[in-house]
Amino acid sequence: MLKAQASLVAQGRLLKLALRAALVGVLVATLIGSLYWVLSQSYTFRWNLALQQLPKFNEGLWITLQASGIGMVLGLALGLVVALLRLSPLALLRDMGTLYVHTLRNIPFLVFVIFTYFGIARAVLPPASNVVLFGWDIDDRLFWGALALSLFEASFISEIFRAGIQSIHKTQQEAARSLGMSYLQAMRYVVLPQAFRVILPPMTGELIALVKESALLLVISLPELTLTAKQLSSQRPLQFEFYTILAGYYLMITVPLSAISHLLEHKLSIHKRGGAT
Amino acid sequence: MIAIQGVHKWFGRLHVLKGIDLEVGQGEVLVLIGASGSGKSTLLRCINGLERIQQGKVAVDRIDIHASKSDLNRARQEIGIVFQQFNLFPHMTVMKNITIGPLKVKGVAAQQVREAALKLLDRIGIPDKADAYPDQLSGGQQQRVAIARALAMQPKVMLFDEPTSALDPEMIKEVLDLMRELAQERMTMVVVTHEMGFAREVADRVAFMDAGVILELGSPAQFFENPQHERTRQFIQKVLQA
Repeated sequence: MLKAQASLVAQGRLLKLALRAALVGVLVATLIGSLYWVLSQSYTFRWNLALQQLPKFNEGLWITLQASGIGMVLGLALGLVVALLRLSPLALLRDMGTLYVHTLRNIPFLVFVIFTYFGIARAVLPPASNVVLFGWDIDDRLFWGALALSLFEASFISEIFRAGIQSIHKTQQEAARSLGMSYLQAMRYVVLPQAFRVILPPMTGELIALVKESALLLVISLPELTLTAKQLSSQRPLQFEFYTILAGYYLMITVPLSAISHLLEHKLSIHKRGGAT
Repeated sequence: MIAIQGVHKWFGRLHVLKGIDLEVGQGEVLVLIGASGSGKSTLLRCINGLERIQQGKVAVDRIDIHASKSDLNRARQEIGIVFQQFNLFPHMTVMKNITIGPLKVKGVAAQQVREAALKLLDRIGIPDKADAYPDQLSGGQQQRVAIARALAMQPKVMLFDEPTSALDPEMIKEVLDLMRELAQERMTMVVVTHEMGFAREVADRVAFMDAGVILELGSPAQFFENPQHERTRQFIQKVLQA
């Protein structure tokens, strides 16, 4: 009896959800449709021509993914180090961490990219020479661009780490240290796993911001997605189509990121309850 | 086992410990009592180095806890501590809470650690809770797991910081019974508590702290029947009336 009732309730909920989705779908379709119609009065859409350029977009996507991927890995690693500096009992280390965060966080990313590529890179290497790292030949625009992205994002990421770690009560650290754990062991086994849950939502937001910021790397002529779209648009009169495709490509990267984070969050919250109750 | 000499501690400008001298012998149970703010919890936390001291010396098993050359992490393996708020690790199962110390700090083999943990769980009376998470246990059960977590390191000394103060009355007994058993096994214990019955029955000596000094130190009989100081007499009268 109870089971039948429960399934009835579930069915009702599903129906409501489907109705809501349908309604939103109709509304959005109408809105976009009418906008499209208005535009088509003055502009001829040539999607088939634009879509022929997808291979070029895919090349740009690959470079955007490389730059963002490196940015995430290095940014997270450096961000954690800076966060630990900022939480250190030694005032000197704390000051260094604070200095790092407050300098980088307070200049525009565009300025930092220009400074890195046209400032630092030129001072270190002759112009337009590739960077060879461990026998791996890297395009210098990708190298300096990804580095700038990592360094810049590390300042934001470190603040998220710091807030997460501080939200785990000091008593957890004390309990771990009382068992004889070192500071780093206590962090690794006790504090960070708990902080991770708190950190996940804001960190996802930051990683999405990182992907979006990679678009600014077009100023150092890194042929990532945005520069690809821009160049294509200057060659062919299909601006609307190209930039629509460009936006679609960014959504293709960032929406799955949000979805993964959402799934992880859900999984972790169940884990905390031990699967029971 | 524990030797405390001339210990002074300041929190900023607040002088919380004003010259403490105290010895606790092997297998002795010392109960620290006193009003809140008298410095008893602070003194306890100085014994395993959770609080730093500005003057004096604390030695546990002849290791100087506050000397910079001492390996504090090593020394703490010999000193178990149980907190008022349990402070279990909420993201780990009961089993993991008990085994993490021996596994990661001492590097004992997993099989051996697990067997020892199962024995401990049996002993604290919740053998079926190995895979439960702390928030699925009652307060009394959580505190017993916290005691098991400390015992799993096979410490030479156990410190208790008001272990029953956060518990419902019906759960206090199960925790005190476990502590009583430990005392019977000649574990060296320092217990900060407001449980006067426990102090009278289990303690070898009772220390009364007031305003950062140990005002009175003696056997429970002497302490409760014949206190020397007026301040002690007032305190005992107050708690026994409550």
